[in-house]
Amino acid sequence: MANETVHAKSSPLLIGAAWLLVILPAAWGLNYTVRNALKIFTAGNTAAAAPK
Amino acid sequence: MALSFLDRERSVAHEGYSRWLVPPAALAIHLSIGQVYAFSVFKNPLQALTAADGSHWDLKSLGYIFSIAIAVLGLSAAIFGAWLEKVGPRRAMFYAAICFAAGFYIAAIGADTHQIALIYLGYGVVGGVGLGLGYISPVSTLIKWFPDRPGLATGLAIMGFGGGALIGSPLANQLMAHFKAAGKPAIPSTFLVMGTLYFIFMMFGVFTIRVPRDGWKPEGWSGTNKVSALISTHSVAVGQAWRTPQFALLWIILFCNVTAGIGILEQASPMIQDLFKGSVGKDAAVGFVGLLSIFNMAGRFFWASVSDKLGRKTTYFTFFTLGAVLFFVLPLSRADHLNSVPLFVSIAVLVISMYGGGFATIPAYLKDLFGGYNVSAIHGRLLTAWSTAGIVGPLIVNGILDHYVANHMSKQDAYPLILHIMSGLLVVGFVANLLVRPVDAKHWMKDQTLAPVGGGH
Repeated sequence: MANETVHAKSSPLLIGAAWLLVILPAAWGLNYTVRNALKIFTAGNTAAAAPK
Repeated sequence: MALSFLDRERSVAHEGYSRWLVPPAALAIHLSIGQVYAFSVFKNPLQALTAADGSHWDLKSLGYIFSIAIAVLGLSAAIFGAWLEKVGPRRAMFYAAICFAAGFYIAAIGADTHQIALIYLGYGVVGGVGLGLGYISPVSTLIKWFPDRPGLATGLAIMGFGGGALIGSPLANQLMAHFKAAGKPAIPSTFLVMGTLYFIFMMFGVFTIRVPRDGWKPEGWSGTNKVSALISTHSVAVGQAWRTPQFALLWIILFCNVTAGIGILEQASPMIQDLFKGSVGKDAAVGFVGLLSIFNMAGRFFWASVSDKLGRKTTYFTFFTLGAVLFFVLPLSRADHLNSVPLFVSIAVLVISMYGGGFATIPAYLKDLFGGYNVSAIHGRLLTAWSTAGIVGPLIVNGILDHYVANHMSKQDAYPLILHIMSGLLVVGFVANLLVRPVDAKHWMKDQTLAPVGGGH
């Protein structure tokens, strides 16, 4: 490399912000899905209690 | 050139650039295009739309939208893989964002004017090109940034594709409810907003992605991860790689793994309702589908990371042995046998985690066998196995179900047959995996010994 420029290391804040940007929407979707998914276990209890 | 900022040279990382900024860039792309897994939320609303002559679209016609998108994903990944290696990930991700957003916009016009051909063209073909470009573009870059943990790196990105439905599904539902309440055409407006939001989100990935400098390697890494004889120290060019028996075997491995997973995913909601008639209703079935999405996503990260320790061959050995057994015993949990919803759900989520794991581990398997030089292009060609499985899987499932219904047999009895066929397919995958051997030296690139990273520039 002919052009030797000194660059700072990536800021941990910048790295944290980048991760937050993708984690937040994913966490929102995950929360929504988990709340819906819990219904299956209610169904499981119903099935276990149901007479054969 | 106005778009010169997209050039590979402009995206080379400066010294001190953290490699931990690259996975969020890849995730922004994969979380967006993974929306395709949530397309089914539009099926009923699209079916409810009425044309000027009072006609409606049937479910079969609407089902083609997803099939076209997945088929075009595989084809475009195969066609543009080599181009992507040349122009770099930033330009490919930029065009992926344009195609994916344009697909939504064209589909919005199709929904508004009740022309399904426009939805096929928009969401299916144009959007499908965006899916293919977006799917493969960050993979080789991640492998170059994480040569010490390629499974973890590609698992992170491809986990995003599995997780895209977790965002896409509630986002679409809430937008449609909002526009309906506001008295606006719900589907076209939702398509327009989603296209715009995803474009902006993908641009974050475009501007954040960087390729490592030539000769860069992680601090403290010796330059080798020798855990298996399968890991090549040389690269194989794409034109040579796809003619090797290893490529054919990996194609069979991916095809079998995906087809078997689709056997459950394709019919998840009706399957659990049919197998547990009277005890699992529609709402609980939606919950089951959600659980499958979570484990599909988590499995991508978990199994791909584990493969860095176990080795790829052992990881697929686990998928194909455990998977074949689980598929075989799954029907025993149904209402007229063990009658256990928790057992059924536990087996299904484990099987789906391995389906996701199969997707996420394959790029690292390719890198082990063929080196990092052309891994995106080789991965792109391998994804035709996914397109094929996307057609064959539903054909097997729907064909058997239709046969049972047409002959007045119980649909409940069709599922064991379907699941046992999938179990058999996993045995085929097991044999293919067993046959994988290191690539013969005659296929190696003559003038290039694999540099630790950045060798594909």
